[in-house]
Amino acid sequence: MYHDQRLVMRDGMLIGALERMCATLEISPSQAGLAKERYEGVGEWLADSDDPLLKLMGIFLQGSTAIGTTVKPIGSNEHDVDLVAHAPDLGEWVEPAALKKAIGDRLKANGHYKPLLVEMARCWRLVYANEFHMDITPSIPNRSCNLGGELVPDRALKMWKPSNPKGYKALFLERVKLAPRFRVIKSLHTQDSARADIEPYPDQVRFKGLLQRVVQILKRHRDVFISVHEIDPAMSPISVLVTTLASQSYEYCVKTFVYDTELDLLFDVIRHMPDFIEARAANGKTHWFVWNETTQGENFAEKWNSDPKRAEVFFTWHARALSDISRLKEAEGIDGLKRYLGDAFGAGPAKAVVDAITDDISASRRAGTLGVAPRVGLVTGLAAASTTPVRANTFFGR
Amino acid sequence: MRYSDPKPLTAAQQFLLLQRNPVSKGSGELGAGCFRWCYKASPTPLSRIYDARLEFAPNRSPRVFIDSPDLTLLSGGDDLPHVYDQKPTRLCLYLPRTYEWLPWMRLDLTLVPWTSLWLFYFEDWLTEREWRGGGEHPEPRDVAQRISRSRLQRRHSPRQRIE
Repeated sequence: MYHDQRLVMRDGMLIGALERMCATLEISPSQAGLAKERYEGVGEWLADSDDPLLKLMGIFLQGSTAIGTTVKPIGSNEHDVDLVAHAPDLGEWVEPAALKKAIGDRLKANGHYKPLLVEMARCWRLVYANEFHMDITPSIPNRSCNLGGELVPDRALKMWKPSNPKGYKALFLERVKLAPRFRVIKSLHTQDSARADIEPYPDQVRFKGLLQRVVQILKRHRDVFISVHEIDPAMSPISVLVTTLASQSYEYCVKTFVYDTELDLLFDVIRHMPDFIEARAANGKTHWFVWNETTQGENFAEKWNSDPKRAEVFFTWHARALSDISRLKEAEGIDGLKRYLGDAFGAGPAKAVVDAITDDISASRRAGTLGVAPRVGLVTGLAAASTTPVRANTFFGR
Repeated sequence: MRYSDPKPLTAAQQFLLLQRNPVSKGSGELGAGCFRWCYKASPTPLSRIYDARLEFAPNRSPRVFIDSPDLTLLSGGDDLPHVYDQKPTRLCLYLPRTYEWLPWMRLDLTLVPWTSLWLFYFEDWLTEREWRGGGEHPEPRDVAQRISRSRLQRRHSPRQRIE
């Protein structure tokens, strides 16, 4: 399969743009480090308690921070850092409310945590303003789960319900490691070695973890979609459902198909997501299931069954996400790219992407390393022989 | 003291060099001491492919026009930055009467790459109507006399952005 160098570079530029966008939305390494320091401190404080419920308690990350799919919420400066406070020695004989209260009492006894503490339905939140907030959910072992699952309180704080944050993370990260297969692009140097105007193949720009980037891109698109269409945020497709479908679809696509580019794989992963939703008709009603594969009895689509409007919101959003994201490939011009990115992900990230592209070119121009390559355009770094350097100039005129 | 500049390149030499450099791939017509060269310019792989036209005549600065797409249509009627004329769109690529371009310099290594650079900042300008390519604004004084390089460099260098 022959690829025009320009088309490959075009995909590379789009991947670079999406990479940049995700990087501006995710929790920074320094913030993540700070969060880790703080939750480890919380863990020590809980374990040092005299309360027998807390004495073996350990704290670990769950959710997007654990699997590398964080996206800053719209209209907030704070990332969510989800934590589990796990008591390995307890069983179902403890009431969820009692364990939650024990954790809250212990945190309140610390002058440092007390002013940051906010009580939520089934967890405690420590708010570090303008940085992140840490949600601490109690959990106990689920002895009837042969996958090493846990039990966490239900929303009403009355019952324990199955979950498996550690198993979920492990499965997701296993899927991240699956290597996609790409068609070998016939090298331009063998096919066209006689043509002086064709450069050796450029290094292809790649996603840093395609599955994680798909999830971030989808979550951001969802947040913008819900906000722009003024849909009740409570109806928004939940992150764990989006993440689960994306990771199942990724595994399916990677194991089944061979792709030309990472961008094509990205589109295909999004396209196949609904295939992993189970729909059963009963009594003239559709029942929806998106199972947690790492434990028994946790249906991420549970709320769709009491409120079918949620399924509708999901499918409308999904169709829109697929069209907005695959449309990026048709962007014409830097201005076109910015418009399409803005439509899909909001004006802020779109501006950040274009600023980065422009800064990159301007910095290379100042450094005297800017060049023009045939058919490709401006390239930063004068690596290739047929690249013409861009000499210093001053644009004249008003 | 100043050494004299190298000998100016002839129209035929410039024409041949444009023909040979893959960066200025195109076609043209060579006349007596003058020529016209049409080439495709695209600043990035995501950008439009623009039809550029370079006109060369003796004792006159070489001129670069963009024939298509119509840049004034893309700008929605807003005045284009850094052009001599809106329509036909003639680009201001370098400071006249300075050392940025002199007749001994190859056009395929100066005006042609500058065309791509101009178009890059043009597409960027389309997003928010802000020109981030730096430049000089003409003042009668600037055009009238030759300005030393050192003085020019003290003025607007391409602006650094602070985020």
